[in-house]
Amino acid sequence: MNRLHAYPGESKVHGLVYLLPGLLIYLIFTFWPVLQTVHTSFLNWEGLAPQKNFIGFANYVQVFTDSKFWLALSHNLIFIIFYCLIPIFIGLFLASLLGRYPLKGFTFFRTLLFLPQVLSMVVIGVAWRWIFNPTFGPLNLLLRAIGLSSLARPWLGDFALALPAVGAVGTWVQYGFCMVLFLAGMQRIPTEYYEAAALDGANAWQELRYITIPGLRAEIGVALITTIIAALRVFDLVFVTTRGGPGEATLVTGFLVYRSAFLQNQTGYAAAIATILTLIILAISLLIRKYQAADAWSKE
Amino acid sequence: MKKFALVISTILVLSMLLTACQTAPTAPTQAPAEPAKATEPAKPVEPTAAAAGPQTLIVWDQFYRDVESKVMDTLNKEFETAHPGVQIERVVKNLDDLKVTEKLALAEANGPDVAQVNQGRSDMGALVQANLLLPLNDYYTKLGWDKIVTSSIGSRNSFTTDGKTMGSGNIYGVSPTAEVVGVYYNKTLFKKNGWTVPTTFEDFMTLLATIKTAGVTPISFGTLDGWNAIHEFSAIQHLLVTPEYINNLVFGMNNVSFDTPENQQAAQLLLDIAKAGYFTDGYAGIGYDDSNKTFKAGQGAMTITGSWLASELIAGTDQEFGFFLLPGMGGKAGMAIGGVGIPFAIRQGTTKADLAAEYLSWMISPRAAQLWAEISYMPAMEVPADTKIVEGSLFADTLKAWNTVNKASLVGHYIDWATPTFYDTLVAELQKLLGGVTTPVEFTATVQKDYADFLAKQK
Repeated sequence: MNRLHAYPGESKVHGLVYLLPGLLIYLIFTFWPVLQTVHTSFLNWEGLAPQKNFIGFANYVQVFTDSKFWLALSHNLIFIIFYCLIPIFIGLFLASLLGRYPLKGFTFFRTLLFLPQVLSMVVIGVAWRWIFNPTFGPLNLLLRAIGLSSLARPWLGDFALALPAVGAVGTWVQYGFCMVLFLAGMQRIPTEYYEAAALDGANAWQELRYITIPGLRAEIGVALITTIIAALRVFDLVFVTTRGGPGEATLVTGFLVYRSAFLQNQTGYAAAIATILTLIILAISLLIRKYQAADAWSKE
Repeated sequence: MKKFALVISTILVLSMLLTACQTAPTAPTQAPAEPAKATEPAKPVEPTAAAAGPQTLIVWDQFYRDVESKVMDTLNKEFETAHPGVQIERVVKNLDDLKVTEKLALAEANGPDVAQVNQGRSDMGALVQANLLLPLNDYYTKLGWDKIVTSSIGSRNSFTTDGKTMGSGNIYGVSPTAEVVGVYYNKTLFKKNGWTVPTTFEDFMTLLATIKTAGVTPISFGTLDGWNAIHEFSAIQHLLVTPEYINNLVFGMNNVSFDTPENQQAAQLLLDIAKAGYFTDGYAGIGYDDSNKTFKAGQGAMTITGSWLASELIAGTDQEFGFFLLPGMGGKAGMAIGGVGIPFAIRQGTTKADLAAEYLSWMISPRAAQLWAEISYMPAMEVPADTKIVEGSLFADTLKAWNTVNKASLVGHYIDWATPTFYDTLVAELQKLLGGVTTPVEFTATVQKDYADFLAKQK
């Protein structure tokens, strides 16, 4: 048999050879540094001198007893609302509205909606910082122009509003992505289902609940994982807009890692935070995958 | 599938084994004179004759702004001309990037020979502790730097070899520029409204009220970036404390406390100014650069920041600006925050130490002073007599202010140098104070906790 031709049941090692270059790059530049970080988390190292002392789980104990860590983590969880729940909700709503009927110029809108995903987070942060500027930012100018000047305030400097303001930027970035994902997924749902439901007298809400959402299970799973990871690892947006301020109002774990490692020379401690964050993300991703797999074959 | 899993597991196990090879903890180094490289055997630094064959000197600096970058390029070119065969390889970054990347680069064999290293514990102190900077004491006397730099200024670039005590020990850097924090004022607006420069702090407060009544923003200010709030608070603090106290606080000597009545009074005064609406409307959401832009455009009567802003306020505006020191209580001469700019330091592992030292001399030469003065940057060294400085210009004002406090030994400190976490703590707590979340008493108490923790760790 000529092994160079593909046929069902062919040995998978052959395919592995094609994967090897990519796998090697991943292992060297992503996986290896992750292992190094985990290794660093067990050391007492300020990031400069060659001497590193093994201190076991002392860094982890310090992390779990640090009130700033729990505060930062709570802010990450609040960001899940802005990065994940609201965009998925908006995405589902808009997809169910538009997915059934072909729109003129839809490709154009799809590109436009996906654009925030392509832009650098730093660029987005700088632009939104300007939008939120209390004196000449477009948001306050608009509020004053329509007579709502009592609502115009220093958004990014307000202790209560800074976190939702930064969260709103996250929503802006993610909702287009969710919507495009769900619209693509809706193409796969057979229209006969909707016709059958209409014949049975289903209203729009029932269609959404019994046909659209179950049919989009895979896409919702992808959206959940991607957006939750984005919410938990957010750093650049906070760094560019508020740097964790005012006070600690927008402090997130990613910023805590940066500050500890590079500004306060506590690299071991920062590595511990990073490792804990990675484990949390892994756990959540596994949970979501389990939820997906559980119903993957139950409806088809 | 099984084979796939087998291959993946093998790769994983191999990676783990490789990690384990690095896990063996190295014993803490004893002799501080040992170079910092862990993988190479100790290499003595060999002094090379400065003009022996073609050489490249790698220099990292943070003079990224257009006007200052041009000065560096000029100085570098003139250095190359004066030292045939020497090439300067210049890398310029902004301060944030420089701080982070040079900590890694200074430990490398092909790292920069000369780099600007921020003063303070988290940067210079940490690098000294890791034995990555070359002590410059010999060069100080050999190349005559002690005649250019006073000992009080030199102490700011000094650390003991364990990197723990600032202000004494070896000198590790030379600063080309000097800085003083004071009050910029819009001369055009002042002239139009008949306002005069105050000579006492009480007059200053009255002036703020007068300006506000006239419908102009008294002090252009924004706390979104955080760090300039430290200057706002500390400028007032410097009028209330003694030079000994500030020295003790920043250099960690004599076990002083931050929780003092003077600091509380300074915090209260800052809060009063904020509550009376003397800062820009919505200052909590405005960044430092944006605040300066609006001030430059004429939308604020004054702004309290450092002399480094002067060069930006000279060109590109139809407004005229002046500078004065924040006047002391009852007219008494107060201290001003100030010091020397970010110094140039030499990497411990460099093989071109003598050439690097000559480069440092070049950076504090009279020619350098002249070039900095010409773009209205304050040099730390004396400006040559033939440099054209326009009497009554903004730059002349800042130079006069610096000379006044320098000669009277009233140059204060950037208090965020006090501990590695002081910067972050001060920024967060000042934002809380101004945001009404904490009181002045709570403010000083929280900051003192940071300071006390640090002092305890130093013992």
